[in-house]
Amino acid sequence: MDPFFLVGALVCALCAVLCIGAALLRQPPNDITILSTAAVELFLIAYAVGALIRQVMGEPVLGEAWEFWGYLLTALVVPIGAFWWSILEKTRWSNFVLAAAGLTVFVMLFRMEQIWDGVAGL
Amino acid sequence: MKDRRDDLPERGARGGSSSAAVGSGEQSRATGPGRLLIAVYGVFALAATARAAFQISTKFDEAPLAYLLSAVAAVVYIVATVSLARAGSRAYIVSVVAVTIELVGVIAVGLLSILDAQAFPSETVWSAFGRGYGFVPLILPILGLAWLRRNRPERAQG
Repeated sequence: MDPFFLVGALVCALCAVLCIGAALLRQPPNDITILSTAAVELFLIAYAVGALIRQVMGEPVLGEAWEFWGYLLTALVVPIGAFWWSILEKTRWSNFVLAAAGLTVFVMLFRMEQIWDGVAGL
Repeated sequence: MKDRRDDLPERGARGGSSSAAVGSGEQSRATGPGRLLIAVYGVFALAATARAAFQISTKFDEAPLAYLLSAVAAVVYIVATVSLARAGSRAYIVSVVAVTIELVGVIAVGLLSILDAQAFPSETVWSAFGRGYGFVPLILPILGLAWLRRNRPERAQG
């Protein structure tokens, strides 16, 4: 299995668990939950750089490359949008929003891995 | 970050005419659980739009009906997201219509995709009741209608 995927899945899971936990404790977004969402974004940037290097070094995407990059660029927007949406109202529901961003990025990462390996069509 | 506390009361937040409301009939539904609902709708609007655009631009001839439905689903999600985020009774009505279409759509397409699998090669957001999306497309309109019902405008004014 791709180590990139493993790390990404862990980061997304951590974000989801922390944010759902904080929401269940009726906490509004705090440093921990916001930083965990930032970690997801940071991972995506590292993933994008990694993917770029791998492709330049001759490890092509087996599926549609433009589809892979479409997913990746869209995924990069998700944590940012969730952060913006969550700080507009500081209730515990905003932590659920951050958790949803982590889960969404996980699903998109899963699809990106499928496209990279040429497994499934859309 | 900043130490701005959770200043909205946990229960009074939704539909609370005292907290978020500015004028009568202008209660925002984009508060409390509504924010999560809108966020999830936003994700689905994004996903459905991207998928429909991809399907229609690359392989429309393979299953025109299914891909047109993808596009319809995308529009419904966009309208639902925007109208849920807006205050006012007009946005409320638009929300109810959009979310109801969504519910009817996911049930109808879900049934058809199972009964007549060839017309619907598991390719839309609503196929098999949204199984490809963890059945969220089926749960979402139910939660949406429940949320709208709890937050219906006290007086329907134009």
